[in-house]
Amino acid sequence: MKINLKVNGILEEVEIEASTVLLDVLRDKLHLTGAKEGCREGECGACTVLIDGQPVDSCLYSAAAAANTEIETVEGISANGLSAIQKAMVEEGGIQCGFCTPGIVMTLTALLRQNADPTPKDVAAALNGNICRCTGYSRIVSATLKAAKNAMAQKAGDAHA
Amino acid sequence: MPEVIGRSVPRADGPGKVTGQTLYTADIEHKGMLHAAILRSPTPAGKIVRLNADKARQMPGVKAIVTAADAPDVRAGWALFDTPMFARDEVLFEGEPIAAVAATTLAQSRAAVAAIELEIQEIPPVGDIDMALAEGARLIHPKLAQYGSVPGIVFNREGNVACKYAHEEPGVDDAFARADRIIEDTYDFGRQYQGYLEPKGTVVQYRDGRYTVQSGHQYVFNLRDRLAQFLQIKPSDVRVQGMAIGGGFGGKLDFGPEPYAAVLAKATGKPVKLIFSREEDLIAATVREGARVRIRSALDKDGNIIGREFFTDHDNGAYSGELILMAGLALMFCRGVYRTGPIRTQFRLIYTNTSPTGAYRGVSGVPMISAIECHMDHIARELGVDPRAYRLAHTLNNNEKLPNGQMLHDAAILREAYAEIEKIAPWEEMKRTKKPLEGVAIGSTVWLTNPLPASATVKLNEDGSAHVLSGTCDIGTGAMAQGVVGIVAETLGLDPANVHIVQPDTDVAAYDGGSQGSRTTRAVGRAAEHAAMDVRQKILDAAAPLMQTEAARLTLSGGKIHDIEDPGKAIGLTDILMMGAFASGPIVGTGKHAEQPIPFDPGCAVGLAFPTLPTPTYHVHMAKVAVCPMTGNVEVKRYIVAQEVGKALNPQGISGQIQGGVAQGIGYALHEGLRVRDGRYMERSLEAYRLPLAVDIPEVEAIILEHPADEGPFGAKGTAEPPIVLAPAVIHNAIYDAIGVPLNSIPLTPERILEALERRKSA
Amino acid sequence: MDFIYAQKLEEALNALRTQAGRAKVLAGGTDLMIQIARGEKQPQALIFIGQLKDDLAAVSLSQDGHLNIGALVTHRQICADRQVQASYPALATASASVGGWQTQSVGTLAGNICNASPAADTIPPLLVHEAVVTIQSAARGLRDVSLEYFITGRRQIAIENDEMVVGITLAPLPADTADAYLKVGRRKAMEVAIAGLAMRLTMAGPEIVGELRVATCATGPVSRRAREVEALFSGQKLTDELVTQGASLLGRMIQPIDDTRASAQYRKLVIPKLFRGAVLECLAKLGIAISGLEKS
Repeated sequence: MKINLKVNGILEEVEIEASTVLLDVLRDKLHLTGAKEGCREGECGACTVLIDGQPVDSCLYSAAAAANTEIETVEGISANGLSAIQKAMVEEGGIQCGFCTPGIVMTLTALLRQNADPTPKDVAAALNGNICRCTGYSRIVSATLKAAKNAMAQKAGDAHA
Repeated sequence: MPEVIGRSVPRADGPGKVTGQTLYTADIEHKGMLHAAILRSPTPAGKIVRLNADKARQMPGVKAIVTAADAPDVRAGWALFDTPMFARDEVLFEGEPIAAVAATTLAQSRAAVAAIELEIQEIPPVGDIDMALAEGARLIHPKLAQYGSVPGIVFNREGNVACKYAHEEPGVDDAFARADRIIEDTYDFGRQYQGYLEPKGTVVQYRDGRYTVQSGHQYVFNLRDRLAQFLQIKPSDVRVQGMAIGGGFGGKLDFGPEPYAAVLAKATGKPVKLIFSREEDLIAATVREGARVRIRSALDKDGNIIGREFFTDHDNGAYSGELILMAGLALMFCRGVYRTGPIRTQFRLIYTNTSPTGAYRGVSGVPMISAIECHMDHIARELGVDPRAYRLAHTLNNNEKLPNGQMLHDAAILREAYAEIEKIAPWEEMKRTKKPLEGVAIGSTVWLTNPLPASATVKLNEDGSAHVLSGTCDIGTGAMAQGVVGIVAETLGLDPANVHIVQPDTDVAAYDGGSQGSRTTRAVGRAAEHAAMDVRQKILDAAAPLMQTEAARLTLSGGKIHDIEDPGKAIGLTDILMMGAFASGPIVGTGKHAEQPIPFDPGCAVGLAFPTLPTPTYHVHMAKVAVCPMTGNVEVKRYIVAQEVGKALNPQGISGQIQGGVAQGIGYALHEGLRVRDGRYMERSLEAYRLPLAVDIPEVEAIILEHPADEGPFGAKGTAEPPIVLAPAVIHNAIYDAIGVPLNSIPLTPERILEALERRKSA
Repeated sequence: MDFIYAQKLEEALNALRTQAGRAKVLAGGTDLMIQIARGEKQPQALIFIGQLKDDLAAVSLSQDGHLNIGALVTHRQICADRQVQASYPALATASASVGGWQTQSVGTLAGNICNASPAADTIPPLLVHEAVVTIQSAARGLRDVSLEYFITGRRQIAIENDEMVVGITLAPLPADTADAYLKVGRRKAMEVAIAGLAMRLTMAGPEIVGELRVATCATGPVSRRAREVEALFSGQKLTDELVTQGASLLGRMIQPIDDTRASAQYRKLVIPKLFRGAVLECLAKLGIAISGLEKS
């Protein structure tokens, strides 16, 4: 079947099967390889993308069901340079091997849009569906708090100006 | 003054990783690339009665199916050559490869795998080390004695024991005969899966009679050599290109999918991609071995340890990997970091009909050191003394010896580590403020830096930036992306943003021991430092005629060459490269590193792959836990590490290693668990094999102690492995403190803790 | 396999009738897509109802105080819903423990009960609140069935081929009522329950129980209310002895199995402790302190 997917604001026509999952479309058809396959069972979160602003595991999300939604991938949020959370992840050392990183960036992007001033507990709970085997998470949490702080400071600065 | 060293400069590969642009193996596509899948043994032991792929070959999209008949009839291995590429007549573990398929799509290759007709006559598996050691046990490798092995390493093998090492210091029996009391423990340690987020994968091409292998791999030269063994070709006929690697932790040091993809690439003439599914990766991973450690300590009336027996048995699985090389660790760790009398020690690596085991961060040392540290708490409690005070009273001082005769010149760093933790978490206060079912524990150890040799080339580019070429990758630790970048930037006075790391490539780089054993920063770092110094000298030599002075008068900093005696006189690095290179030629420097031998007692350690502990570092960990009386779950309330690192080249990178390593240690102790029943894994997915989450891990407090090494890049020593080594024992002992009984095994499941609480209640 | 986008509820129901058992309804798909990938389910068509948000995606309070939860309401919505948090916090707790955010974003409450896993977190709280499942078909219209009768076995539900679940309804709470959901896992999240227990406790007076309801999951093939235990408490004074008695009866009643997550023995050990924990949590929520009630 042919469907139209709106990925990072661009409509793409793709040929899929009814059983195709979104991750395979993104990686194999659209060559957006930022989302990673870590388990294909919704346990690790490396394949996280946003659908209508909510993080989902694209490895078990029906591609056909994603028609008529807004799909955002790590490529999309990186289009205009590093976002606040991406910058903070680099600066704080929230990255090691990097394989979980795009998924974690997507989850935290959703978190910061919904909660501009999260607590460390909020961040940890938001990451329940994202496994990082390398970092022990501390620097990912501190990166998120830093990104939030920077964004709020920027906003205050903008309001002042 | 160092401008880069000692600062938390962000990792060079951060932007690529955070935007998803970094290319991992699974992201590679080549024209005409086929997708492969492996048929694996569904049973842990049996004879292959029938294997027929005729029907499968006719299926849509299938380009090739290969089996043992299509591969050289050889056995390969890291130390002992006992491993066939495909099972030929018999299977020795569940998951052993039997055939491999390449097809146009992955779905087609998987369908063909399912269609291969396979009949195995099952044999009861030798499922664990007890069965393997039992009298009259079936031999898993009846031809063990005939297998080849690497020259230079001496080890005994017999029956189901792949490697046995024993040593005895004089006076052990006498010590036990005159002991005031004897304390004995047996500790059981389960397997641990590395759980890297990127399942193993490879893309292999066969062109011009050579194989080009692209894999996220920790040790490209080892992989090259293993492929050469399996394929019966020269190592130089294999080119391994290291890709970005999505974690390894020791699990990606040996071969994985590569030999199978290689055979298929040759058979089809097409690039072949083979990526393991998560279940496949777990079942075939060379996980941390299960082990059983028996310790008996003879104590005098003052509580001094006057003699010891230390017997450590490790589960090799069906074939051998790196663990044979680890026999000597038993000798190095049987004492812990405490004064003891003479020790009788024995290490055995035992074959079972289970998936082969291998290296995982803290290879083989984790069970040994865990056993020592748990046993120390047991002794202290038996004596009715404080476990911390007991440790300190018996902790080695400077210039005391390990059982291999190696002198620890700086063991007093341990006392400094205790003192530093005491400053932020006073022991008596920690004990006093415990609530019911809370517990605290502290432990200490020494750890090593892997001594394999390294090389590096630094190439200065015409724009004033530099590329660093070596045979190892940044596995995620930052050892290359922060450590080596910093070393080269500092040495050449460059902005770290202008120092680029090249992925390893066996065609291009000289030999290197790979990203393992905490060695990269130190070994590759030293090689890179030497290479950068070579470059620096070449720059100054090229600048001297342009500046009409002598090279000895020149120095390099901030991208400029300055005349020391005439500070106003300077020219830019790029000017040299534009003008000077015509005269001097392009500027490239090389460097290498080989660890100097450490004096030891050859009587006890000769023939061991690692007879000494090179570049020792010192570690103290403390934990506070709370046990839930309702469920038996454990919450780690606080975790503190004091770790000696030589010199902290990049404090952020080091604290990241400490936090990540401790998280894996806590996971091993509490959340993970890879159980073997009748030769098969019970946990087969990331749902069942629980990797710890952000909510499970406390913010680990890291105290970094600096005692720069005499040699080495700015004094750096190895960092990445040791944070995991103490965590299991310290968590065990904190639970022991909380519930009053030791559990003597890892993992510490809520089931076992709740049962222990019930037993205590009814007692 | 066909993929049918239902634009209206009638289209979904008509498609179900036409497909006559060969189709599966797809909402979030967090269970179904894996089951299809593993070959455990091989439907000939997927009827996608995700676009029926206008009909099925609301949590609404009816005039008589019933809370209606549409079939597309996700776990994430449940967790965040003020009415659920206020009246049925155990359900919010249970939904918040189903997988991570990614699963909760798309996984629906209705999907969780239709999957009918013995370990489904939301089933015990829905059972103690006597949830009613509303089912619709093109041929016969709407019908209501109590959740207790809706789930007939391990992964088995009482639904006809042409029917689909359109909503779940919870009755208003009596006064002096609190609930709790306690779950056991090895990690603090992302756990398929090793065991779970939901309780609803209504007090009739100081220290006197009006009604106690309890249901467990992962303790047998099907989540069930433990009515024998509940009967012990009706109209009784809440004492430590009574809690112990109830807890141990519950421990004897459940029929857990050994599986990879835990042994039957552990489940037998932990369920009575969860029972006591749930009593204490309910009392704490009601602001009631009963002397002599031990913590464990």
